[in-house]
Amino acid sequence: MAERGKTSLVRTVCPAHCGIDACGILAHVNGDRVVKVEPADFPDPKHKRICLRGLSSLDITYHPDRLKYPMRRRGERGEGKFERISWGEALDTIAERFKGLADRYGWRSIGWTLGGPGAGTTKFGAYLRLASLTQSTRVSAWGYGDSALPCGSRALFGAQFPYQFLMGKFLTGKVKPEMVVVWGSNPAESQPLNMMRRIMDAKERGAHVVVIDPRFTVTASKADQYLGVRPGTDAALALGMINVIFREGLQDDGFIQRHTVGPYLGRTDTGEYVRGRDIGAEGSEEYVIWDGASDSPRVCSDVGITPLMSGTHTVKGLTCKPALQLLMDLAQEYPPERTAEITGVRTHIITRLAQRIGTANSVTFVTNMGFTRTYHGDISLRALGTVAALTGNVTATFSGGYLPAVLNWRPFLHADPDRPSYSRLGILQLYDAVISDKPYPIKAVWFSFINFLNQCAHSTKIANEIFTKLDLIVAAELFMTPTARYADILLPACSYLEFSDLIPFPYPYVQLQQKVIEPLYESRSDVDIASGLAGRLGLGEYFDKGEEGFIDLILDSGDPSMEGITRERLREGPMRLRLIPDMDQQLDIPFSTPSRKIEFYCERLREVGQALPVYLEPLEAPLKPEGKKYPLTFIQGHSRFRTHSMFANVPSLLELNPEPVVEINPRDAAERDISDNDLVTVFNDRGKTTLRTRVMEGVRPRVVNITEGWWIGQFKEGSVNHLTHDVINPVQETLYEPNMHMNDVAVEVVKADNQDSPQRPRYHLPELPQYHLPELRGRRGRR
Amino acid sequence: MKKRLGLVIDQERCLGCEACTVACKIENATKEHWIRVETQNAAQKDTPEGRFPDLKMSFLPRLCNHCAQPPCVDACPLEALGKREDGPVVLDQQRCDGCQACMEVCPYDAIRYNNHEEKAEKCNLCIHRIDKGLEPFCVICCEGQAMHFGDLNDNTSAVSRILDTRETFQLNPEAGTEPSLYYCSPKPPRGL
Ligand code: SF4
Ligand code: SF4
Ligand code: SF4
Repeated sequence: MAERGKTSLVRTVCPAHCGIDACGILAHVNGDRVVKVEPADFPDPKHKRICLRGLSSLDITYHPDRLKYPMRRRGERGEGKFERISWGEALDTIAERFKGLADRYGWRSIGWTLGGPGAGTTKFGAYLRLASLTQSTRVSAWGYGDSALPCGSRALFGAQFPYQFLMGKFLTGKVKPEMVVVWGSNPAESQPLNMMRRIMDAKERGAHVVVIDPRFTVTASKADQYLGVRPGTDAALALGMINVIFREGLQDDGFIQRHTVGPYLGRTDTGEYVRGRDIGAEGSEEYVIWDGASDSPRVCSDVGITPLMSGTHTVKGLTCKPALQLLMDLAQEYPPERTAEITGVRTHIITRLAQRIGTANSVTFVTNMGFTRTYHGDISLRALGTVAALTGNVTATFSGGYLPAVLNWRPFLHADPDRPSYSRLGILQLYDAVISDKPYPIKAVWFSFINFLNQCAHSTKIANEIFTKLDLIVAAELFMTPTARYADILLPACSYLEFSDLIPFPYPYVQLQQKVIEPLYESRSDVDIASGLAGRLGLGEYFDKGEEGFIDLILDSGDPSMEGITRERLREGPMRLRLIPDMDQQLDIPFSTPSRKIEFYCERLREVGQALPVYLEPLEAPLKPEGKKYPLTFIQGHSRFRTHSMFANVPSLLELNPEPVVEINPRDAAERDISDNDLVTVFNDRGKTTLRTRVMEGVRPRVVNITEGWWIGQFKEGSVNHLTHDVINPVQETLYEPNMHMNDVAVEVVKADNQDSPQRPRYHLPELPQYHLPELRGRRGRR
Repeated sequence: MKKRLGLVIDQERCLGCEACTVACKIENATKEHWIRVETQNAAQKDTPEGRFPDLKMSFLPRLCNHCAQPPCVDACPLEALGKREDGPVVLDQQRCDGCQACMEVCPYDAIRYNNHEEKAEKCNLCIHRIDKGLEPFCVICCEGQAMHFGDLNDNTSAVSRILDTRETFQLNPEAGTEPSLYYCSPKPPRGL
């Protein structure tokens, strides 16, 4: 339509960090310009799709505010005053500063802080390769909201993610669950295509859909039953359901016995599992089961045992109980009435949901990071998984299908196997490393595809204590984000149409994100940026093959799932992962937990009292708000208009969604004399933010929601992360990496003094940096 | 029989995402939004009706109905609007002088006024695409797979099959314009 003349088509992939949708994109190119994007074909037409962000992606590529050349800071950090420099000068400066800092403090003092790379691989890996070769520090961004789910999943299933266990083949559309329970997640907005479509397909085929969420989301609007749970009480809800399941004998004993630690005896004194050595099998670390037939303890590998999964037994003077009994004892404390009081969900609904899950043929549990962003979010996930496991709704066997994509990163990241690699810090651990040199000092930080100040907990602390203390801040960005404003050296990066990458999504496909146009202005791809710096650090040889060389390195690294997949063939279109033909046999999946079973009883957490998925109160979220200084729980849902802070500056989306609002229930609004569209200030001891209200029933009373991702500067003042805290849960530190508890924050809301602020513009972009853009020929904005 | 091209939008699957709105705007390089997604019975977008937690929410994407008896066509003094044989009601912007007579008679508020060019504009059912055998752009970009396009007069078409099997409705049938846009209501929640 809009295009004239000869148009060529290039298939690429939108790698936006929206989870793993990774939509195939057909780019229409006219001359050196992409004039249109549309959904690209897949071998299986159900994968043809695009979302409103993908559709708007040209507005990112051709945004007039793109950073166009490297810059050096001129004013104070954060002031936004920069001057143009050349790439050579920028990279020389960074290399010299890095070397100087490394001489004084060691290479470890340089931290590569890389955000969610989206579905991308090489753009992420290139920096880590450099981190590894220099033995500097990788600052992992999992802890920016996404590490509690892996913490819980690792404890329960021994795997980074619980999805394959909780959903099995659900996403292939080939199974017909009787129920789909969406717990603490809003896929209708955050994963509309690969996830929400499948949920609606399942519903069309008869599945009952249940949604558990403190907000009545778009996903909830599709549910047969909505449970408006109080934030941070999910583990209690799960225990209440487990109570009913046990009381009514609805658990799947066969499954529990075969795939979980249910029959293994645990000591009531120390909380450890009884081992073979405890019953006289010398040196045996095997788990022990109480055999009902012989009424005696036996090591679990013995044949012909009739396991007892209940009761109290005495083994060589030790009182012990099967893990399932320990769980029953815990669940005993959560009858539906008490659970209802804690969670705010009605008693009969808790009972009925437990009965339905307990009696349904198959239940698919859909979940994600959202409900794990509370202080004990890892336990919430474990509790959910325990409900699934007790009712036999965990996929614990394999009988054929596409192998999940596994990337062997080693040869890529660890380019020189003879040398030690990078050190690793979680992003929450970066705070202390910079502020108080613990566990060791970080003096320089490199930011790529991350908007740290905007998106990470406790922005004031970041601005006043972290950014002021760092010797060097480098950011590679597309825009002058709130974080970029603090950079000493600012490098212009490419949008996805300007470089190639390997995208191992959506399951069961691998795709090639193909470069469609040359980098605009002076922007460079992340791989190019890393390689330019590597050359100056004497490491150029490891980077001389460019993006394509790295893609080949991953494809050729020998993981069976990638067999037969080559870059040449990927150019023609997506390729399916390796298929293992269906087998008659069902092979038990060996879980990578210490017991190789689903561990709803996690021995190593006994000393902190969390071996079972206990319910522990959230850190801040006020369960009993009466008389509290900050009686409201503040949570941050995700918006369909953004992926985190990406797309927040796109005018075509701002037209539809012009400014941040705080969603507040009419009852809470009335108590505060607040009306819809009022300007209000949301605050606590850490900070405040001022914005308009949306008074609506769709958010639980005593809970207020602001969707995350709006940029500082788009609010009247402050931002969501001026309210959040950076408290570390030490248990998560031992399990994996500490998480930011974005949904476990207490606040109060008051009407702002000044209501008659000038009429807002239709959309409002953050104040632009004060630098002058020289005319760049033929590269103006879109229209 | 003559074709009667039209759309069926399934509210059960509509996510209210507004991808259709954005898609249409890009495809037709428009100023205004030719599709507007309303949240039903709500004062503003994305807000449910009822009292927490007993709530419901559904979405109603609204666009030109490509009426069989289109009053807009008759109202236009310059014959800028026309009804094609196969169904689409098309506005020729070259001829439009911005008098807005069509906007006054459309019962669906489906015609937008482009202040910039001082002309009316509306959905033309993507005739530039459907004439090439492609589906309208909003349909292929619909996140929920809620939009269906086809010949309502062909018993075997996908849209006819939906009309045969699902309960559907038209907006304001009493206006007598015979819309070619049908909606399927959302299914009521079944509880537990
Ligand atoms: S909906 Fe309005 S603009 Fe469209 S054909 Fe009917 S009367 Fe004309
Ligand atoms: S059919 Fe085409 S013109 Fe009409 S609403 Fe859909 S995309 Fe817009
Ligand atoms: S794109 Fe589809 S799902 Fe989204 S609002 Fe439009 S009709 Fe509804």
